[in-house]
Amino acid sequence: MNTTVVGKNLRKVDGFKLVTGGAAFTDDVLLPGMLYGKILPSPYAHARIKRIDTSKAKALPGVHAVLTYKDVPRVPHTTAGQAWPEPSPYDTYLLDSKVRFVGDRVAAVAAESRALAEQALRLIDVDYEVLPAVLDMEAAMDAGAPVIHDEPDSTKIFDREHNIAAHIRREIGNVDDGFREADFIFEREYRTQRQQHCMLEPHVTICWLDGDGRLMIRTSTQVPYHCRRQVAMILQIPVSRVRVIKPRIGGGFGGKQEMLLEDICSALALATRRPVKIEYTREEEFYMARSRHPQILRMKMGVKRDGTVVASHLQVLATTGAYGSHASTVQGNTGSKVLPLYRAPHLRFECDVVYTNTPVAGAFRGYGCPQGFFAQESLADEIAYKLGMDPVEFHRKNAIRLGDVDKLSAQLGEGKEGLPRVIRSCGLPECVKRGAAAIDWDRKRQSLPARAGFVKHGVGMSCTMQGSGIAGIDWAASFLKMNEDGSFFLQVGASDVGAGADTVLAQIAAETLGVSLGKIIVTSGDTDFTPFDTGAYASSTTIISGGAVKKAAEKVRAQVLGVAAKMLAVPVENLACAKDEVFTTTKPRKSVSMAEVALQALYQEKLQIMDGASHYNTDSPPPFCATFAEVAVDTQTGRVRVVHLATAVDPGVAINPMQAEGQVEGAVTQGLGFALSEELMLNHTGWPMNPNFLDYKIFSAKDMPKLTTILVETEEPLGPYGAKSVSEVPINGVAPAIANAIFHAVGVRIRKLPIRPEDMLRALYEQQPELKPEEALVTQ
Amino acid sequence: MIPQNFEYSAPATLQEALQLISGGECKVMAGGMSLIPLMKLRLAAPEHVVDLGRVPGLNSISESGGVVCIGATATHHDIESSPVIRGRVPLLAEAASHIGDVQVRNRGTLGGSIAHADPAADYPASLLALEAKVRLVSANSDRTVEAADFFLDPFTTAVESGEIVLEVLVPIEEPREGYRYEKVPHPASGFAVVGVAARIKKAGGKTTLARIGVTGTGPRAFRALAAEKLLESGADVATAAAAVAEGQETNADLYASAEYRRHLTRVWAARALTLALSRAS
Ligand SMILES: Cc1cc2nc3c(=O)[nH]c(=O)nc-3n(C[C@H](O)[C@H](O)[C@H](O)COP(=O)(O)OP(=O)(O)OC[C@H]3O[C@@H](n4cnc5c(N)ncnc54)[C@H](O)[C@@H]3O)c2cc1C
Repeated sequence: MNTTVVGKNLRKVDGFKLVTGGAAFTDDVLLPGMLYGKILPSPYAHARIKRIDTSKAKALPGVHAVLTYKDVPRVPHTTAGQAWPEPSPYDTYLLDSKVRFVGDRVAAVAAESRALAEQALRLIDVDYEVLPAVLDMEAAMDAGAPVIHDEPDSTKIFDREHNIAAHIRREIGNVDDGFREADFIFEREYRTQRQQHCMLEPHVTICWLDGDGRLMIRTSTQVPYHCRRQVAMILQIPVSRVRVIKPRIGGGFGGKQEMLLEDICSALALATRRPVKIEYTREEEFYMARSRHPQILRMKMGVKRDGTVVASHLQVLATTGAYGSHASTVQGNTGSKVLPLYRAPHLRFECDVVYTNTPVAGAFRGYGCPQGFFAQESLADEIAYKLGMDPVEFHRKNAIRLGDVDKLSAQLGEGKEGLPRVIRSCGLPECVKRGAAAIDWDRKRQSLPARAGFVKHGVGMSCTMQGSGIAGIDWAASFLKMNEDGSFFLQVGASDVGAGADTVLAQIAAETLGVSLGKIIVTSGDTDFTPFDTGAYASSTTIISGGAVKKAAEKVRAQVLGVAAKMLAVPVENLACAKDEVFTTTKPRKSVSMAEVALQALYQEKLQIMDGASHYNTDSPPPFCATFAEVAVDTQTGRVRVVHLATAVDPGVAINPMQAEGQVEGAVTQGLGFALSEELMLNHTGWPMNPNFLDYKIFSAKDMPKLTTILVETEEPLGPYGAKSVSEVPINGVAPAIANAIFHAVGVRIRKLPIRPEDMLRALYEQQPELKPEEALVTQ
Repeated sequence: MIPQNFEYSAPATLQEALQLISGGECKVMAGGMSLIPLMKLRLAAPEHVVDLGRVPGLNSISESGGVVCIGATATHHDIESSPVIRGRVPLLAEAASHIGDVQVRNRGTLGGSIAHADPAADYPASLLALEAKVRLVSANSDRTVEAADFFLDPFTTAVESGEIVLEVLVPIEEPREGYRYEKVPHPASGFAVVGVAARIKKAGGKTTLARIGVTGTGPRAFRALAAEKLLESGADVATAAAAVAEGQETNADLYASAEYRRHLTRVWAARALTLALSRAS
C-alpha cells in the first residue's frame, strides 16, 4: 500500500510527555481539599452484616463520611463495562448487607489523609453472621451448597439456586454424528488458574462536583461512556449530570473494562461535597479488582485416520467468583473464538459459569481464549503425535482459511445470537511458515530430543485467533475540526490504555487528510468533549474507532478540497492532498498549503471545516497467530525455562508496526506468566495468600527468553487501511506452545496451569520413572 | 503503602547508638532493605528508628591472624567486591553476589541480613560452612557466638535486647580449597528456596574436609553434618547429597512442598559439591 503515515514506525503522540514525567495519569493532579477514600474489605468469604456501627469512625476528626449499605441507593447492576443492555447479570450493589468474598465491600470512608482513612476503617464495628462458603467451583452447583445470590432483586442470573450465573450450549452440525464418522476420538481435561492483570497503574479514581454541581469523574478506565451510564444509574442521577474524564491510562488489560471504583468514589464525593480520591494498593488490586476466570475444560475431538478433524466438543466449567461480571461473554468466547479454528463441520460448546465465594473474575486480555486454546492446542498436539503427524502439518490440514465461514460465531455472540464470520483475510499459513523458520522447527524437531544431559530441550507450537471488535455491537464515533495553521483537532471517545490508540488513530486521520502526524491533536475519552465510543476492549479500537476516524477524515477532506478547489479554480476531482498541501493532479501543478486553506475557510468563507462520523462492523475479522516455543526442562528440579519464543501474527495491516510489535511482546510476557508462574491462590477460608510481587511471579525484563516477533501483514477489507487487531491474540498460544514443547522435550503432558516446577517434576517421575531421584542426582 | 510515623536518629558514634538502644524501645536500621518493607506492610511499626549508617568504621573489612573481620554495616556489594574477601573467603563473596538485585546489594548489609534471620536468606549457609563467629555488643557487654549458635529460628537470633551485631569473624579459606554456593532462587522474591554452600579440602585424591551449610530448606540454616562425615569417609557426591537434609525439619510454602524442598536440597547439594570438588586441588 502506498501510504506516508500509516504503516510507519512513528513515535507515540504522547511519548514525550510520558518519558519526561509530565502530568499524564489520573493521579497526577492534586485538587484543593481533596479527601482520601478507602474501602473496608470483608474478612469473610460469605457473611451477613448483622449490625454495623460507624459512630466511632465518624467521630474521628478529619473523617468526612462513612458509608454503609444503609446510606446508598440499592440498584442491582453489573460492573462489567459492556454495551447496554449488558449481558452480565445484575447481581451487584454499591454496598450490601451481605458480603460474598474476602475483599467484598463492607463500608467506605473519606478522610483528610490516607492514614486517617485507614484508622477510620479500624473504628467501624461490624457484627457478622458468618455463612458457609463455597470456594470450589466443582462443588458450587451441588444440592445443599450455600446460595451466594439469594437476594430477590438481582436479575439475569441463569439459576441462582444452583449458583449458576450463566449457561451456554451451542452446536453446529451434529457432533454425535461427527464422532461416529471419526476414526479416532481423543478426550482430555485441562485446568486453568486465577491470573491477575498486574497493570502498572492500579485502579484509581478522583471524583468531585464542579461549579454547577455536576459530578466529575477522573478515572483510569477503558470504558468512559459505559462508566458514565452505570454511575448515573447506580446513583440515580441523570447522565447529563456526570462527566467521565479518562486521562492517560497506565495499562488495563481488561481489568479496567469495569466500573470498579467510580460508583463508590462518586458516592463519597456527593456525601462530602469535596473531591475524593480512591486508589487501590497493589494488594487490593490483587483481590479487590478482577482476575481471569479459572476454568476446567473437557475437550473432545474426533479425527479421521489422515488427521482431518471432523468434530469437536468442548465442555467448560468456569467460576466468575462472587459476581457475574463478564461471566457469559468471556466463556462464550472460549467456545466461539476457539473451536472454529478447525474446519470441522460439527462443533459443540457447553458451559456453566458458577458463582463461588472468591474474588471476582472479569475481562482479561484474550477474554476466554487463553483457556480454550490451551485445551484445544494441547489436544491437537497430542492427536498429531498419536497419528505420527507433524503438528505443523496437522494445522495446515485443518485450520480455517480464506473464504471460510465460521458458523459458530453466528450462534454465539455477545450474550445472544451473533453474526457469521467470513474470513476475508488470513495470514495464518504464512505465520506458521515464518514462525517455524524462526525457531528452526524442522531441524530441532529431529535433533533436540537426542541431546544428552539432564536438561532436555524441545520445541512446540500452537495456532490461535481472536476477533477485532464485537460484530454488530461495538461502535465508535469521531470528530475532526480544522485550525488556522492547517492542523486538526481529533476527538475520539476511544480510550488509549497504553497500547497506543491515540497514535494509531492520529496516523489514520493524518493519512486520510494528507498531513503529517504532528498536525493531528488528539483528545480521547472525555464524555463532555468527545463523541461516543463503546471503549477499549475486544480488540476493537483500531478497527472500529479507526474506522470512525477514517470516515470523519474523508468527510473533512472533502470540505478541504472544496475550499481549495475555489482557491485554485480547478474542479475538486482534480485535487489531492498530501504533505500538508492540496495540489492538482493534472498539469500544470498548482497547490495551496493546508494553512492557506484553513485561513481562507475561517476568515473569507466564514466556514469551520469540521465533521464527524460513526462506525460499526457486522463482522469481527480475526487476527491470527502462530506461536513457537523452545524450552529447556531441568529433569532434576522440574524447572522449565523458555529459551526462545517466536510469535508470528497477522494483524491485517499494522498501522504502526513498532507499536504492534510492542503489543505482541507485552502479550507474550503475560502469556509466559499464565503458562509458568502466575496464580492468585486462596486458602481454605478464601483469603488471598500471595497478593504481592514477592510471592506472585510476573515475568519482567530480566526473565524474558529470546523473543522473535514477526508481523505477517494482510489486507482486511473491513478495516481502516486494511487493519484488524493485534493486542490480544498473541497471549493465547504461549501456554499450549510451551506445554507441547515440554512434551517434545521429556514426553510428559502437563494439562494444568501454571506449570509449576514441583508439578512438572512429579509428572515427570510418574510418567518417566527412569528419571527418578537416584539417577537424577548424578550431575552430568 | 506508607509507614506509620516514627522518630529517626542517626548517631555519629557507636557509643551513642548503644546508649540510644539500651532502653530496648528503639529499632536499629542498617540498609533498611528488610526493615522498611516490613514497616510499609505494617508488619513492624517501631516508634523510634536508630540508623547505624552514619557510625564510622562500622563497615570496615580487614584481615589479621587468619581471620577476616567484617563490620556489620558492610554492604552486600562491599562483600562481593572486596579484594580481601574475594581473596581470603571467596565463598562469602560468591554468596553475596546471589543476593537480590544491584540496588539491594548496594544498600543491604551483612549485619542486617543475619540479624533479620530470614530463613531464606543467603548468607547463613556460607557462614555456617565457614565456621564464622558473630560479635555482639551492647552498652555494657561484648560477646562472641558461633554462627551455629546464632541462628535460632525464623527471624530469631542470639541477639539480645540492647545488643547489636558489631562484626562477623570469618576464618580464611585455604587457597587450595574448593568452594561453591548454589541457590534455587524463588521466582518472584529472589530469596533462596534452597541454598547450599560447600567447602572441600582434598589431599592425595581424598576428601579430607567437607563443610556444608544449608539455607532455605528448614526454619533455620543448618550444617549438614551427616553428609560432611560421609564425604570425609570416602563416600561419593550422590551418597553424601542424599543425606544432606537428614533429620532436618523442612519448610513448606506456596512454591515448594516439604518433600519437593528436600528433593531440591539434595539436587542442589550435589551440584554445589560437584563444583566445589572440581575447584579443590
Ligand atoms: C527486593 C529485595 C530482594 C532481596 N533478596 C534477597 C536475597 O536474594 N537473599 C537475601 O539473603 N536477602 C535478600 N534481601 C534482603 C536483603 O539482603 C536485606 O538487605 C537484608 O536482609 C537486611 O539487611 P539491611 O542492612 O537492609 O537491614 P535492615 O533492613 O536495616 O534491618 C533488618 C533487621 O535487622 C536489624 N539490624 C540491622 N542491623 C543490625 C545490627 N547491626 N545489629 C542488630 N540488628 C540489626 C534491624 O533492626 C531489623 O530488624 C532482599 C531484599 C529486598 C528488598
